Amino acid sequence: MTSAIQIQNVSFAYNTKQVLHDVSMDIPAHQITAFIGPSGCGKSTLLRCFNRINDRIPGARITAGSIKVHDIDINRSDIDLQELRRQIGMVFQKYNPFAKSIYENVAFSLRVAGQNKRATLDEIVENALKSAALWDEVKDRLHASAFGLSGGQQQRLCIARAIANQPEILLMDEPCAALDPLATLKIEELLMELKKKYTIVIVTHNMAQATRCSDKTAFMYLGKLIEFGPTMQLFENPKDPQTEAYVTGTFG
Amino acid sequence: MNSQHIFRDFDKAIDALKGEVITMASLARQNLERAMRSLLERDIDLARTVIADDSDVDDLERKIDQAGMDILVRFHPMASDLRLVITSMKMAHNLERISDHAVTIAKRSKKICKSSPLEEASLAEPLYSMADSILRDALTAYTDSNAELGESLKARDKELDQLHKQMISSLSARLEDSNGRAENLLHLIFVARSIERIGDLAVNMGEDAVFLGEARDIRHDHRKPSSQKPTLLG
Repeated sequence: MTSAIQIQNVSFAYNTKQVLHDVSMDIPAHQITAFIGPSGCGKSTLLRCFNRINDRIPGARITAGSIKVHDIDINRSDIDLQELRRQIGMVFQKYNPFAKSIYENVAFSLRVAGQNKRATLDEIVENALKSAALWDEVKDRLHASAFGLSGGQQQRLCIARAIANQPEILLMDEPCAALDPLATLKIEELLMELKKKYTIVIVTHNMAQATRCSDKTAFMYLGKLIEFGPTMQLFENPKDPQTEAYVTGTFG
Repeated sequence: MNSQHIFRDFDKAIDALKGEVITMASLARQNLERAMRSLLERDIDLARTVIADDSDVDDLERKIDQAGMDILVRFHPMASDLRLVITSMKMAHNLERISDHAVTIAKRSKKICKSSPLEEASLAEPLYSMADSILRDALTAYTDSNAELGESLKARDKELDQLHKQMISSLSARLEDSNGRAENLLHLIFVARSIERIGDLAVNMGEDAVFLGEARDIRHDHRKPSSQKPTLLG
């Protein structure tokens, strides 16, 4: 099994507040890895380290360790952040399409990158929308506003927007938190298809979602990685008592 | 588990499920004890009671299965909670079969009691004592999630099998010169067979207690050259 992201002894702080402590793990390629844990445990912070969007927060920094993609430490000062974020796409909890048409949402980053050839854009947009299982629902209204879509469709549009860049890795921070159960199932079904092409890392508070979709699960608590293993093992027979307490919802 | 669930209804549901299994176990053991007493004390009324009371055990099996399903749907149990629900449902299934064997013994006992006293009936007593002791410990292994105790039952069941074999060969020998008692001796052979099966079912429950306590699946281990990865249902 090849790993897509290698995290070695990573510690992270917001100014003086240490929020990740010595986290090490290998994110397997072409699998879905779920991060679970209570609010404030550091799972979203860790996810946001993978494409360095924490850089935008003043005082936020990795204080120790390294995160490597293709054996390159992504925290090197000479990393091209635009290229990094093209390779490592991200989908957020609240779907956030641009105030543009469905077509232009998907084509946007390509245009920014200088691609203006109509035939090429048409092809990439169609493929991205098909990959996001949205094409059949929107093919007759590609130039209508993205805001006219349902919540689940808008989130799938955001996934299409991310994969139009042909990333290797997709980061998803609670992508279904704002969706109804059926829209959630559609996204989950989509994830099972997407993992054939992409490595997916998903932060979720929904443990049933982690059990349904992910191949491996990491349980984090108070900024530490407590347990990381095959999803079924972690939920059926966790090794660490803290994981057991979390997945069973117990205390004392 | 000593720890409590944040959602207290989950604790109540789990406690209720375990309580039903314990009630069912008490009834199944009581049915077995009465069936044996009807045989040894030649009490036909007691045999009739066992046959009538079996429906209570059947009802409890249905109730436990329903309660287990409700918990799966409502609380989505994980880890040790999930194993407890699955094990409880399997316990109910094994206990129902044990009560069925008690009914078999009671029916044979009724037939034996209608003829003149059969002195060989007392041969079944030590067999029953041994089976009941294994059964009692299987139930303790479940209630205490005691994997060590659960795993120890297989060896004791081998002793039970040995005793059963001795009893069958003794009864078979007497069949040849039975002086009209052949039918009753055959009834007694079936009683012994039921007791031996109860030992097997108790071993199954002990294996389930190992799964409950340590998430290890030791079923059919005699066929495995080495220990395998634990699975949920096998």
